[in-house]
Amino acid sequence: MADILCFSRNNATTVEQLTEEIMVSSCRLQDTLTDLLVEIHVKTPDLEITKIRGEIRRAQEPEDPHLHDTLQKVIGVRVGPGIKKIVRGLMGDSETEKKMVFMIGECCNGIILSFTKQVLSSAPKEKEKERDFFAAMVKNSPRLYNSCAALSADSPLMEGVDPP
Amino acid sequence: MLTFSRNKLVSIYRKDDHTLCARGILEDDIYGMEMDVTVTLSGMEISAVRGKWIRMENSECPRALPFLQEAVGFCVTEPDFAQKVQKTVGRKSCRHFANILLECCEAAREAAALIDTGPAAGDTVSSPVDASSAVPPKAPAHREQKPQVKNPAKRSSREGLIIDLHVHTSEASPCSSAPLKDLVEEAKRIGLDGICLTDHNHVWDAATVAVLREKHDFLILRGNEISTDQGDMLVFGFDADIQGIIQLPDLKEQVVKSGGFIIAAHPFRGFLTFGIGQLGLTPEKAMARPLFQHVDAVEVLNSKVSEKENRFSSQVAEGLHLPQTGGSDAHEVEEVGIYATRFFDTITDEGEFLTALKQGDYKPVAFRKTMT
Repeated sequence: MADILCFSRNNATTVEQLTEEIMVSSCRLQDTLTDLLVEIHVKTPDLEITKIRGEIRRAQEPEDPHLHDTLQKVIGVRVGPGIKKIVRGLMGDSETEKKMVFMIGECCNGIILSFTKQVLSSAPKEKEKERDFFAAMVKNSPRLYNSCAALSADSPLMEGVDPP
Repeated sequence: MLTFSRNKLVSIYRKDDHTLCARGILEDDIYGMEMDVTVTLSGMEISAVRGKWIRMENSECPRALPFLQEAVGFCVTEPDFAQKVQKTVGRKSCRHFANILLECCEAAREAAALIDTGPAAGDTVSSPVDASSAVPPKAPAHREQKPQVKNPAKRSSREGLIIDLHVHTSEASPCSSAPLKDLVEEAKRIGLDGICLTDHNHVWDAATVAVLREKHDFLILRGNEISTDQGDMLVFGFDADIQGIIQLPDLKEQVVKSGGFIIAAHPFRGFLTFGIGQLGLTPEKAMARPLFQHVDAVEVLNSKVSEKENRFSSQVAEGLHLPQTGGSDAHEVEEVGIYATRFFDTITDEGEFLTALKQGDYKPVAFRKTMT
């Protein structure tokens, strides 16, 4: 028997610098059952969500006439630690809303990673310099310590770094 | 111009009558990774996980791979599956592997529903442990009594009372691993005069806390760290049991009615890899944030944020002429008292504590640091 796919999913998130102060992050989720789009506008420097829109192009659940209003609840929320919990708490819990919550999270993650990319672009490859770079990063942001395997207490990158 | 893009592809096929295979690929500007996950159709359990790095952040990222095995045995239809993955795979291995693992498992769940074998999508498996039984009793919805603290301040008012205003117990905060008893013992050992229990969206029962106070002969006060649309708030003198997310203006209205007090908790807790400076945020711009219109004080010393973020909070509080407090935000026993607040009033009960908060005669202190 051929291993024919029974389900497939594509999830694409992009972040664009629209103006000096506005970033646009969009997430498009397409799978065997669903085709959804979420787009948020985020204003710097506060990273506050100023605009949001969602589109249901294909879904199994019946269309929710209040979806637009529900999405507007996240306007004013700032992208940052704890945002997924906040968005989850503000939105409903229908299957489509749960997917939208996940996609808003993906949009926010994209915004954060676009800044992270800038920081990591200066990370040196040479071992010793690399250790200094990440040690300095952890000293600057104590919550990074032990936040993943690479930055765990016994990682060579954390040599000489005191636990916060 | 695009500044970042992330693409995730998940494919599911049915290996045999009992097994689904998920293959996930994550490609973005920073990371490239692949993952193969096997899920049993009968119990929707992860039976195997394998990950592979293509591109990574640093040379130690491969250390993440062995920890992927911690997800084996997880049931993908359990209500807390995502939290479990983030707590184990996300923290011990890598949060990006956790992300693609969740994507693979969500797709597997939907595929299983299509196949209509085993638990359908949306079905949940009850947790064998009743989590609510582990949580200490909550206060009744309406409570009028103002419990008295038996042991009054032990220091003179000139020295002040040092109270850690932000402490999480393992009994009431799932994210804490610090039992109340151990926290109190440690707080006494290092010379704190009191602690405030500020578990997440949890109202401690006044009578229970009174008993604990007696038992430990130590000043234990009640607070609550409430999640709002504008971040976490430490709330005192307010017994309503708020669940989920509340809009900050609504919370403020209710707290004012009950005569309570709101402190903005870690208001500038930032991002892991970059600072608020990189975003161009200045204290002047930050002062304009609506949240500061609704709080009575600002937590400017918190051990879970960077020193820069604490300094920034202090600058903002100073600019807005708001009182400043300190609290450890302890989730581990050894964290209690890292930061605290020095009060110059005598505090013997929750009423006096609230009065002291409102009078503003206190200041944040780096308590453990000054001990050494």
